[in-house]
Amino acid sequence: MKRSYLGEFEEIVLLTVAVLEGQAYGVAITHEIIEQTGRPVRLNQIHAALHRLEEKGMVSSEMGEPTAERGGRRKRLFQVTAYGRRTLVEIQEVRTSFWGRLGGLIHPATSL
Amino acid sequence: MKPQPPRFADRLLRWFCAPHLLEEIQGDLHEEFAYQLGRVGLSAARRRYWRDVLGFARPFTLRRPAAGSGFQDWSSSFLPHPNMVRNYLKIAWRNLWNNKVYSGINVAGLSIGLTCCLAIGLYIWDEYRFNRFHTHAADIYRVVESQNQAGTIYHVAVSPGPLAPALKTEFAEIIGTCRVGSRGGVLQVGEKRIEPSAMRVVDNSFFSLFDFPLVRGNPRRALLGPDEVVISETVAERLFGADWRQSGRLLGQPMRFGKDRILTLAGVIRNAPANSSLQFDVLLSMRHDELQQRNFQWGSNNYHTYLQLRPGTDVSALGAKLENYLTERKHSANTTLALQPLHDLYLFSNFDFRTDWNPTGSIAYLRIFAVVGLMVLFIALFNFVNLATARASRRAREVGIRKAVGALRSQLVTQFLGEAMLTTLLSVVLSLGLLWIALPVLNALTGKSLSVPVGEPYFGLGIAVFILLVGLLAGLYPAFILSRFQPVRVLKGVFDHRSGQLFRRVLVVVQFTFSVVLVIGAILIYRQLRYIQDKDLGFDQSQLLSVRLKNDLPGRVALMKADLRQESSVASVAGTSTDLVDVISSTSAVDWTGKQPGQELLVTQMNVDPDFLNATGMKLMTGRNFDAAILTDTTSAYLINATAARQMGWTPRKAVGKELSLWDVKGRVIGVVNDFHFRPLTATIEPCLFRYRPSETFSRLLVKTRPGRVREAISAVERIYKKYERETAPQYTFVDQELERQYRTEEQTGRIVLYFALLAIFVSCLGLFGLVTFTAEQRTKEIGIRKVLGASVGSIVLLLSKDFLKLVFIAVAIASPIAWYVMKQWLQDFAYRINIDGWVFGLSATLALLIALLTISFKSIKAALTNPVTSLRSE
Repeated sequence: MKRSYLGEFEEIVLLTVAVLEGQAYGVAITHEIIEQTGRPVRLNQIHAALHRLEEKGMVSSEMGEPTAERGGRRKRLFQVTAYGRRTLVEIQEVRTSFWGRLGGLIHPATSL
Repeated sequence: MKPQPPRFADRLLRWFCAPHLLEEIQGDLHEEFAYQLGRVGLSAARRRYWRDVLGFARPFTLRRPAAGSGFQDWSSSFLPHPNMVRNYLKIAWRNLWNNKVYSGINVAGLSIGLTCCLAIGLYIWDEYRFNRFHTHAADIYRVVESQNQAGTIYHVAVSPGPLAPALKTEFAEIIGTCRVGSRGGVLQVGEKRIEPSAMRVVDNSFFSLFDFPLVRGNPRRALLGPDEVVISETVAERLFGADWRQSGRLLGQPMRFGKDRILTLAGVIRNAPANSSLQFDVLLSMRHDELQQRNFQWGSNNYHTYLQLRPGTDVSALGAKLENYLTERKHSANTTLALQPLHDLYLFSNFDFRTDWNPTGSIAYLRIFAVVGLMVLFIALFNFVNLATARASRRAREVGIRKAVGALRSQLVTQFLGEAMLTTLLSVVLSLGLLWIALPVLNALTGKSLSVPVGEPYFGLGIAVFILLVGLLAGLYPAFILSRFQPVRVLKGVFDHRSGQLFRRVLVVVQFTFSVVLVIGAILIYRQLRYIQDKDLGFDQSQLLSVRLKNDLPGRVALMKADLRQESSVASVAGTSTDLVDVISSTSAVDWTGKQPGQELLVTQMNVDPDFLNATGMKLMTGRNFDAAILTDTTSAYLINATAARQMGWTPRKAVGKELSLWDVKGRVIGVVNDFHFRPLTATIEPCLFRYRPSETFSRLLVKTRPGRVREAISAVERIYKKYERETAPQYTFVDQELERQYRTEEQTGRIVLYFALLAIFVSCLGLFGLVTFTAEQRTKEIGIRKVLGASVGSIVLLLSKDFLKLVFIAVAIASPIAWYVMKQWLQDFAYRINIDGWVFGLSATLALLIALLTISFKSIKAALTNPVTSLRSE
């Protein structure tokens, strides 16, 4: 199998980009992740992750429309590429297959 | 208007952020700011904004061009790519490692130069920090006097006792004063007696003006009473034992001082730090002196007067007002006042008549050291520059390739500067180790206790700045030379080997000029010191013991002398007021027959007994010695020295019998002694006269011991001393040692300059060795061909050495006049000095040439002996 290097944080960001469906840009992603996961992420981390993902070819970007609160600056909107989508699916499949073999051995309540 | 994000943070972002990323990042940041503004308020939002901006200072914003962005963005970052840095480091390391000889020369030379610089830096820092620990240090000044006596200006550090209160009431700028006097005597508690070495009389303000905290006692009240005393921790330990701190009833303890004073202990003061000019172990109350009145007149200068000025006072204006204070108030006719900053007390004090009892340093010698240290450093730096530019051809290909694949010149400069920094860093690490080894030597030499202040933040910062500076100095020129290569030419193999050769030669000349100057300097300093030590002083200072007579002993001189004469180890013994080491008891109250009106003469007077001439081995030119049997000799007879006779207008023969009066005591000259040196050889012989006044008591005994029996004589002196005086311990000095001690600074300087001269020569030769090695390497083929065609070994050695020897020769030619001039200045300080002989320059030149030749021959002979088969085969 072709290995796709995707860190855990990158995976979250990639998923968020997918979820936001064409409205994914720095601030939006940051807020979404904070809301959904409660992790104290910062803007620069998101930007760094997006740049890595773009370099790996998992997201593509284009400049969007300027808004007033951005001081008339455009935002960069991200979209998951086909390769990115495939990678997400692969990761999901690998996990599902492992979970299947686990056969319910792990229960959150008793894992301690 | 809507609140905006911090402007400066925005500007910072624009500065470091790659332009193609700026829009989205700044947009996101602004949007986030607007969001946070509504959520947490303005100031918190601003804080967050700052944090976020700083968070973006990461490699990806600084360098990475987004896919498909324009060409102009490719060098938009200011930091090199980590991969490039890694490559630079690797290349730098390989260069260091593969050229061990050159790297060794660079690192060794630089570390020696840096060690010299650091050591001297520490020394200077230590001297500079003197007296700066006081809170008010910048506002404290000492009043010093310039006295005009007999036409000569004398600078003295002391001033009259009433001056301080008078100035304070008159000048609003002065918010505090403190007087400090010096005293001697014995302090006694119970059976314990001590003789403090630094006993001072001070005002109570001593505790508030200066930062000398009391460990015990009330700083506001201590020493207000006339019979109070404050002692240092050391004295407390000596008087009350090591556990004096535990004693609850320390204060109020009675102490006996001298014969008749009972003092009460009013406090214990922390020992003065080593970097304080004011040193003390016992403090007496100024109040006592004030009540005594005897020393407290406008006419007598007994105290150092310190003033604390209101912060922000115009000091030069105040100084101008004070200058003629004494004459305006008719306290004195010929004395002006000046203000000396507390900061200058240590380095800029040079007062006459030993009126400054504080320890002092010399700014002149500090400057000499600084220059000498920098010289060694620069010699090492020049090595670096020379080797780097000479070997530039080795890296021409690398530069060509780098440029061909797109390196900018600025990037190459950065790379080569970085390499210089790396070498410097290596050398600094090494030199810190060397410094650690060398400091004990330096401490022994200077009598300081310097240490490497590893923990001090200043030191770390200083070192960092130092590395940057030295790295820049060493690397800048080579970096520009190296980065200048045209890729097309160097990749074709066209390389001008002679580029920069002139510059290198100039640097070599400068290096050897420095070295030769230092060598000549060291030789001349040593010759002058030798000259001083060997000079006939006009009396015999060997085996001469000087015993101080304390307490009641001056009244028992006759008894002691009688006892000492019985000892077989004692050759002769004389009572005197002086031991001939830097005598400064001069007076202008002298009158003589034939004195011109208005003529004034400063005459040094000494009170001696008839045995003095015998004990010191002085010779009479004419006339006779004092005679105890002749009654008038003890009241009105004078012996004068030849200079006095000459300046009074007499020939030695005619002087005998002339009338002379001292302090209006009329008398006659009964003899003239040969001139002798009673001041250091920095001063010319001045007129002096001896008188014989047993009634005025003698403060010293001069004991001439028989050869080889000094030890016996000392024990005899101690025994007899104790017989007549129980309170104090016998204290004696050897006159010859004391005389030599006067030149300790000069000797220290001589030694330091000598060491540095040796280091300078060594480092210069390291560089020379490197250059010769390189030349020999480069000319391997040429030498091979020459040998095949029949050149002799000698001619090839000459071929390789000639150029360099020429440079050393030029250096000698430049250095000689410089050294001559500098040393002439230095010798001006001595009234009696050596001539700067030509042979010193000849010797130094020969030495420099020989050492250079030796260095060169290491390599050149080897090159000349190489079998041409080997050198020509290598292709």
